[in-house]
Amino acid sequence: MKIALFSDIHANLPALEAFFADVETHKPDAIYCLGDLVGYNIWPNEVINEIRKRGIPTIAGNYDFGIGRTSDDCGCAYKTDDEKANGAVSISLTNEIVKDEERQYLRSLPAHIKVEFQLNNDKFNLLLVHGSPRRINEYLFEDREEKSMLRIMHDADADIMCFGHTHKPYHRILNDSKDDANHFRHAINIGSVGKPKDGNPQGGYVLLHITDHSSITDKDSIQVEFIRFDYDIEKAAKAVEDSRLPNAYAESLRKGI
Amino acid sequence: MKIALFSDIHANLPALHAFFESVEAHKPDALYCLGDLVGYHIWPNEVIGSIRRRSIPTIAGNHDAKVQKLKAADLAATSGKNYAYTLIGDSEKEYLATLPAHLRIEFQLKDGPLTLLLVHGSPVSNDEYLLEDKPEADFLDVFQKASADILCFGHSHKPYSRTLRDGNRYRLAINTGSVGKPKDGNPQGGYVLLTIPLDASIHHKDSILVEFVRFDYDVELSARTLEASSLPPEFADMLRKAY
Repeated sequence: MKIALFSDIHANLPALEAFFADVETHKPDAIYCLGDLVGYNIWPNEVINEIRKRGIPTIAGNYDFGIGRTSDDCGCAYKTDDEKANGAVSISLTNEIVKDEERQYLRSLPAHIKVEFQLNNDKFNLLLVHGSPRRINEYLFEDREEKSMLRIMHDADADIMCFGHTHKPYHRILNDSKDDANHFRHAINIGSVGKPKDGNPQGGYVLLHITDHSSITDKDSIQVEFIRFDYDIEKAAKAVEDSRLPNAYAESLRKGI
Repeated sequence: MKIALFSDIHANLPALHAFFESVEAHKPDALYCLGDLVGYHIWPNEVIGSIRRRSIPTIAGNHDAKVQKLKAADLAATSGKNYAYTLIGDSEKEYLATLPAHLRIEFQLKDGPLTLLLVHGSPVSNDEYLLEDKPEADFLDVFQKASADILCFGHSHKPYSRTLRDGNRYRLAINTGSVGKPKDGNPQGGYVLLTIPLDASIHHKDSILVEFVRFDYDVELSARTLEASSLPPEFADMLRKAY
């Protein structure tokens, strides 16, 4: 079973279109979207409708949560005054252009999806969240302390936990062993389709491979493939520059920062 | 949010094609398959291929899970009901063997969380029947043990929905019926559209909408193809009369 996971499109329609073209060549058995469809670019309605018309199960991101409730707070952790000022322009423009039906869709999105496997007379759970199981806008960075990451996964009863939100993809395997019995847990950040921040401006997503041998006791029995794809970055960047949005967002797209 | 739920296709390709045509007209926001793609008919690979090609999240039914446990003798059957499983290709067997058992979808409603749990038979077993006349206390026990507010399942091929009062809140049981082998006397295929409105609440009865959709398909073509195969001919009669 091959599962495609994507998130953080952020109203970037050229990136979403390129993602669909790319993911179709891999013929995934299931596709899930981990949220943040809107914000930071000019195509929120188009992105929502492309995902909606395909019937793709989608969970809410923090930006979707904010826009769904016509809030001026996206729950984003902006650090500097410049970031805060830019963020205010983005959320006000997004609130202005998102239409009623699309806003209702964002508001109706679920928070989590858990896929419960029972293979090899054993069980394991794949949990899909946007930020963390505890908070829609919590950042789970790669350098989080092992103990803390394991506690989050243990409390959420997640053996494989997939999330987005930071726009920086990674896969960490942690051994939650008890009485010398291995119990491998996988923390997977799936990256971002439309606003990568890991220095690579290509869009990104994940293919998760589950076989009939997949188990929590065998570290390599669950494979994670990080895919990057080209898209028309200039088109997305120019759209930002031709709008009221701050030009800094165009620069972020060109540099993947 | 409008969610389409379908199950129990049982290798009936004409029924699946008609289902897709019907459900697309309703434009659901998400689509889930509750298992039993194979058994009882000659098109298991086409049905699996059709669902896979659309990347529809699917859980394992008892027939799907059973395939990997069949003995060599069963898989060598040239007639009888096991013949249906001998038709399944290797890649399709692999797919069936890795299907998850349940899907749990957690919503955040205005007044708190709501858990939608999708299973094939029951949360305990893909081969357990949750029938409409199940005693209320037993049914509530199933919900409480599984931490589910809405429980959707198939397996019996007899669609129904039942609201159960649990103290100051409500639980909702939904049988999705069957796309390819209905047993409620109506030979049309069937599925469910579940709508969770923005103001839905577990404290308000009937705040979640359940629509049972029935659609026509070429039952005669499907039944005749069955009769021309090595499968038991009574399977064709069951399609025509829906039992």
